[in-house]
Amino acid sequence: MSKGLNVCVVIPAYNEGPVIRHVVEGIASTMKQSRFDYMIVVVNDGSSDDTTTQAVAGGAKVIDHILNSGAGSATATGLSYANQNNFDYAVTMDADDQHLPKDVLRGVKIAHKNDTDLLIGSRLLDSNGMSRVKVLGNKGLSFITYALFGINVTDSQSGLRVFSKNALENLRWKTSGYEFCSEMLWRAKQIHLNIAEYPISAIYTEYSKAKGQNNWNAVNIVKSLVRRRIIEVFE
Amino acid sequence: MRYILLVALNMPIILLGLFNIITQYKLARVSKERLLHQIVLWGIILVILISSFPAYNLLVGKPIFDSSELSLFDIFQTTAIIVIIYVLNRQRQRIEQNEKIIRDLHQELSIKMSDPHGKN
Repeated sequence: MSKGLNVCVVIPAYNEGPVIRHVVEGIASTMKQSRFDYMIVVVNDGSSDDTTTQAVAGGAKVIDHILNSGAGSATATGLSYANQNNFDYAVTMDADDQHLPKDVLRGVKIAHKNDTDLLIGSRLLDSNGMSRVKVLGNKGLSFITYALFGINVTDSQSGLRVFSKNALENLRWKTSGYEFCSEMLWRAKQIHLNIAEYPISAIYTEYSKAKGQNNWNAVNIVKSLVRRRIIEVFE
Repeated sequence: MRYILLVALNMPIILLGLFNIITQYKLARVSKERLLHQIVLWGIILVILISSFPAYNLLVGKPIFDSSELSLFDIFQTTAIIVIIYVLNRQRQRIEQNEKIIRDLHQELSIKMSDPHGKN
């Protein structure tokens, strides 16, 4: 079923030197056991630490952003690389060791089996292990995504997403920060991509908790999304 | 007379807005959806403008809508608002185009520099 598929695993990273090698090696080990041809691409978003060195040591191809441009931009660069190199699927995952490699592999299989263009790994379909504050914050942002753009998903901010070739060729967004997660769904809806979710686990280590987004950043995300929605009225 | 002045001052701006978006569409710089969206937007402004006089006649004398007749100041103020909407819209579109160019440039440059032998 899956033989011959090329999969590009895109990992946007900013100052993830302490864990990126472990993340790359973990996903490589899992992908090796599959029948997919794969490439792991780390997009180093202008880190000031040894993210590039560690990612290369782990066996990833690294694209260095000249300037720090935000998670949305880094993800776009990785997906553009996957598109230019004719990958059948691309998967984005967080660089902070939050996602399980087996969930990445499972996502590709589900997307391929169901012919899904954009498959979102939802941490909230089974939110065990996630703090109440994070559950509330993510549910709130998913509700705002629904209210503004009419997209009904349980985890609009998930970093684990699977993209089909069709999505790689056509899906583009304008924001460069974390708000791109919601905007991407909106753009996918606008170009009639087939969107679905599947449950994933989220591992919150001390490192990922320390590195994770400040909850107050949600305010900036909402502000940016509302602004984008209003601007689009005049476009 | 004042109503005619209001329409005469604002109609060219609205037509310019419509003309611009049609030009952008014909040059394949905007999608059909965006064209329709802009036509609807400027169409709404046009309808509001044209219906302002009948609306005034209809509402005058009714308690919460009662106001004095359109003054020259009102005409220039309304015109200024529509000009500002037009200018802001154009400037925002240009800023977004420039942002996109810079973003794409940065993206492509990063990819090319990561593979200096030109595989990509």
